[in-house]
Amino acid sequence: MSRALQKYLDRVMIYANRNEADAARIRAELEDHLLKKIADLETDSLSREDAVFQAIEDHGHPRTVGYGLRQRFPWVDVRTEGTARGFVAIGPKAVGVIALGGAAFGLLAFGGMAVGLITFGGLALAALLSFGGCSVALIGFAFGGFALGLIAYGGFACGIIATGGGAIGLWVPQAGKAISYFSRETVPHYLQYFDAFLTTKRTFIVTMLVFYAMLFPVLLVQGILTRKEYQRIKKADPKLVE
Amino acid sequence: MRPLRKQTLAGNVETLLLAVLETGPSYGYAIVRELNEQAEGILRLGEGTIYPVLYRLEEKKLISARWRLAENGRERRYYRLTAKGRRALATNRQQWQMLEMVMGKVLGFPKGRLRGSKLKGATI
Repeated sequence: MSRALQKYLDRVMIYANRNEADAARIRAELEDHLLKKIADLETDSLSREDAVFQAIEDHGHPRTVGYGLRQRFPWVDVRTEGTARGFVAIGPKAVGVIALGGAAFGLLAFGGMAVGLITFGGLALAALLSFGGCSVALIGFAFGGFALGLIAYGGFACGIIATGGGAIGLWVPQAGKAISYFSRETVPHYLQYFDAFLTTKRTFIVTMLVFYAMLFPVLLVQGILTRKEYQRIKKADPKLVE
Repeated sequence: MRPLRKQTLAGNVETLLLAVLETGPSYGYAIVRELNEQAEGILRLGEGTIYPVLYRLEEKKLISARWRLAENGRERRYYRLTAKGRRALATNRQQWQMLEMVMGKVLGFPKGRLRGSKLKGATI
């Protein structure tokens, strides 16, 4: 087998990252495919070298093919490009139970844009709990520069119950500038329960602590796992990370 | 004619592979060649990208695979349609005929191009 073909298959299998038995089976199948294709191209009067080049090109980029061959939804999926999918997914785009990435979709999602149940990010959209530059929590607690949610807490907050520098809501217990449907005199009792929680300095401090307590370990894990993936690829074929 | 866009094709490669395997057991390279021949340049798949789809179909038990000795003396993995796969293909085929009928009517394709005769009374 030609060296170019060998190298191509090596690269595909680096990205596929399968266990030894699966890798051997998949590699044998791809190898058979390519050899058959090369033989056919040679029959069509291509030189051996051109046939190899053509077969490799038609087969697809090693990263695309390799990532496609990864196990479906593994415990941990770290990718340097494309969409990672796994219980813990880390990549430019990530979909998982715990998703970390430029765009992250998961039960627990961290990213430039994060969508899920509990989210942290530049733009965080969550059902229950969102923290971020712009955070939206439809039926929960949103905390951020701009916060929109059932309970919104932030620089500018908008929600059923809202507190912040500026706030718009049905009930605004405390805000620099407030637009509130209810006044302190007319507010129903069930909305007043949140006053103590939202108007104390302790709440702000606790929220910030929770935010950073979640964020730093996650960033650390993301950094470690991404680096580990780069190292694995670099060790197998340094040219792939140049 | 411009090749099909990836989004248009998404999710339908499985059906195409099942259809190719309907005629009998085959292996990866032959399946791709058959697909490309039938697609007449409209469809261009990276050859390596069909394997994840084949493995997915195998996981779903829509196709089964076994190694057999090929004419060149190498082991080759042959895929064949299972009974479940045949049923899935029939369902997908019917769905496509219905979609074709709807798209044809709405987008105004000539009637002669439609194969909706079997679908009279179909509920969409």
